[in-house]
Amino acid sequence: MSLNKNMRVFIVDDYNTMLRILRNLLRQLEINQVEEATDGETAFDAMLRTPPELIISDWNMAPMTGLELLRKVRAEPKLRHIPFIMVTAESKTENVIAAKQAGVSNYIVKPFNAETLRAKIASVMTVAA
Amino acid sequence: MASQNTQLPDAHDYLDRVIAELRALKAPQKDTLVGVLQYLSDHIRATRAEIGAIKGGADGDQLFGSTADELEEIVTETARAANRIMDAAEAIEGVAAKVDPDSATALTDAVTNIYEASSFQDITGQRITKVVRALQSMESKLQALAEAFGPIEGDAPAAVEGDAALLNGPQLSSGATSQDDIDALFATAVA
Repeated sequence: MSLNKNMRVFIVDDYNTMLRILRNLLRQLEINQVEEATDGETAFDAMLRTPPELIISDWNMAPMTGLELLRKVRAEPKLRHIPFIMVTAESKTENVIAAKQAGVSNYIVKPFNAETLRAKIASVMTVAA
Repeated sequence: MASQNTQLPDAHDYLDRVIAELRALKAPQKDTLVGVLQYLSDHIRATRAEIGAIKGGADGDQLFGSTADELEEIVTETARAANRIMDAAEAIEGVAAKVDPDSATALTDAVTNIYEASSFQDITGQRITKVVRALQSMESKLQALAEAFGPIEGDAPAAVEGDAALLNGPQLSSGATSQDDIDALFATAVA
């Protein structure tokens, strides 16, 4: 399944290196419209101004965690419909369940490879279409 | 009887006095009780000595604080290294756009592998941060225990001397001497 190369993606991670990795992997998928933030609050404010078509977020961030960002996004009428992929090292069953209950669209465990990222994006964008 | 506000050294002294008084008794049942109390007294003495040694640390440094700083430095250094790796990978990706399709595919695949592998820094960073938090928690508990034991004298480890004192490992960036400083020192130092 081919991806919509023109989609606008917002990536959130408090590790600049991980943001850079995600941005580069997305560029290899020819997805170039990428905005980013290193914390949930900044990301939320930016997304309210210009809602993206896909959100990819880390979980373990401060002061707002990825899970809190997810809940905030799902509670906001302007953003609640946007697919949200959690990319995280938190891989315990209870984490996945909590994210699912909060409305996550898909879940990628770090470390991940480019193919997993591509497949998960394709999966959530197909459901959203 | 020792009150609730009594520090452990006072309680330890009290315990030793009780042991001495029990030993003076002629009751035949005292031996078991004296043995147990003596064991407790010895154990408290050994624990105080061990805590004193940890509190002192090498060269008087705070052992836990120093270890946490070293671990945080690892996170900083690996982040720096990961970013340099990314710089190089992005440069290679730029070259891939200018070569024949087969070579471009091979280069791009290799670069993708580098991007994927570079995420190690995020994972190791999170793991090390967990260890630092655990160390900080242990440090505060040990500090509380040391305060309960009161002042401990004469049990700090002997200072390391001679060539062994020169083996300190990599310096933290906050206190590191730059290569320029070393070159300047090297140029002026008397052999």
